[in-house]
Amino acid sequence: MASVRKILGWASGSTGPLIGLLLLCLYLSFATDSFLTVRNFLNILDQTTVLGIMAVGMTYVILIGGIDLSVGSVLALSMMVMGFVAKQLGVPLGFAMALGVAAGALCGLVSGTLITYFRVPAFIATLAMMSIARGLASMITDGQQIVGFPLWFNDLAIVRYGGVLTATVAAMIVIFLLGWLFLRFRKEGRMVYAIGGNREVARLAGINVRKATLWIYVTSSALAGVAGIVLAARLDSVQPSSGFTYELDTIACVVLGGTSLTGGSGGIGGTIVGVLIIGVLRNGLNLLGVSPFLQQVVIGVVIALAVAADAFRDKAD
Amino acid sequence: MRRALGLSLALTLAAGTAHGQKIGLAVANLQANFFNQIKQAAEAQGELRGVEIITVDAKGDGATQVSQVQDLLTQGIDALIYIPAGAAAATVPVKLARREGIPVVNIDRNAAGAPGDTFIATDSVTSAYQVCRYIIEQAGGEGQMIIVHGQKGTTPEVDRSQGCGEAISQFPGVEVVAEQWSNMWSQDEGFQITQNLLQAHPEVDIIFAQADALALGAAQAVEVANLPQRIWIAGFDGDTAALEALRDGVFDVTATQQTQKMGRMAVDDAIALINGEERAAIQLQDATLTTQDNVQPFIENHP
Repeated sequence: MASVRKILGWASGSTGPLIGLLLLCLYLSFATDSFLTVRNFLNILDQTTVLGIMAVGMTYVILIGGIDLSVGSVLALSMMVMGFVAKQLGVPLGFAMALGVAAGALCGLVSGTLITYFRVPAFIATLAMMSIARGLASMITDGQQIVGFPLWFNDLAIVRYGGVLTATVAAMIVIFLLGWLFLRFRKEGRMVYAIGGNREVARLAGINVRKATLWIYVTSSALAGVAGIVLAARLDSVQPSSGFTYELDTIACVVLGGTSLTGGSGGIGGTIVGVLIIGVLRNGLNLLGVSPFLQQVVIGVVIALAVAADAFRDKAD
Repeated sequence: MRRALGLSLALTLAAGTAHGQKIGLAVANLQANFFNQIKQAAEAQGELRGVEIITVDAKGDGATQVSQVQDLLTQGIDALIYIPAGAAAATVPVKLARREGIPVVNIDRNAAGAPGDTFIATDSVTSAYQVCRYIIEQAGGEGQMIIVHGQKGTTPEVDRSQGCGEAISQFPGVEVVAEQWSNMWSQDEGFQITQNLLQAHPEVDIIFAQADALALGAAQAVEVANLPQRIWIAGFDGDTAALEALRDGVFDVTATQQTQKMGRMAVDDAIALINGEERAAIQLQDATLTTQDNVQPFIENHP
């Protein structure tokens, strides 16, 4: 039993969601012929890249008791910046990708500054950024999409190196790993929990709360930018309406993974589980041939039940 | 969670697994009546022909649609009926299906870079020309006009703009004072856009909205604005609710697309392609210019 607990320990505090995920997989393996195949598992990884990358940043934001509603729009802005600089200005695509991420980071710098130095509530500051970034994204091409990227760009999301990993999935796994290692083993990672636990106490303990907060919002936006590039590769095109309401999906993943919306508890391990639950659920419902309208109901019910079960368990502890 | 699993288990059992051919139907957005009608017709035709139709709804999101098409391919579909969501990403699902050697029937939208094996759509250019010509004539061949476009860059938006443009160019007395694009082709967008445009241009006589939902929104905005002049409003599609509104005089004209026929055709063509038959690359269908005078039969029996 102790060893089982140790295995589950990597996803600290997320054993409930992990058990849910395993049950879900078990059920789908029996209910469909096509779920339990290597190919389908790789598909699910492909399908969760965008959400997974954004969820890492969102986990940090929610851990300090914040919220970032701008990520869906920032994603769109980053991909439009990348597309515009690459196609209209003729900048090499690799460099354009970096500029797209930088544009995302800049958005985070602005909303982070509003939150820390102007004391605008995070909900409002990022709500404002959601609107601004979406508008800017649309202004770049007057609402038009951009297509016609080099062949290798789409291949980043399609070609499976060694028959296993696409470049975009590899990027997601690296980001998961870095996000988890930083939170677990770096002093700054522990500071994130301290700030979420109690801001004032963290400040008195000598933590530069403002600086840390600012960096977390920059990170969240920069990761939304990376997600934008990944999505562009996956779609082989960029359009300003991309990523609409993705912020809500991202928040759902983080909360499903057991991170508390009030901050201070949770982690990347849980978020990975949360992302996989959403990914497996969407994939499984498609494989089961469940009607599209009912799918929405089922996903909503699962989110509500999972979080309610978690809250119930916390209370019992 | 257990309850949700039980629920979906019950559904799987109820649905049963049909033997024989499977056709995937990837729909852009089931909230739009036009697509929902195609879906219903395709599913009914699938039942008739004894093939299983698996429907997925992208809710207007290109990324979701790519994932859904991957899932359909995993299920071993024999053909894909594909209505692209939005303007972007239209090429990727077709490429994915081609990799597996699976035939693709596109409806309504077709990507230039990667067209389907056959493409079924309404001849939007001609129909938009007829619709615009009709309202311009009704308005006396002159006046100020506004255009509420669909989602920028999609095939129907481009074609309807072109067709209407041809009609407008024949009437020098018509001045297009404003144009605006919607994202979802939805009624509340039509309302909001028209309200704003009427605020800026209160003298408008003619409104072309590129979908019936947009036209219904525009009609609401006109009603609220309470302007002295008669404003002529045209829509497009022949949605079921819109046809009833047309009968009641809420707006003036639409082009009724043969949605039921297109849904049936798509299934028939998909089966033909599976069996190795050929279909024309582009199959354009007529839409019928529909006014209060000839709307009744379409309400009773949608083409």
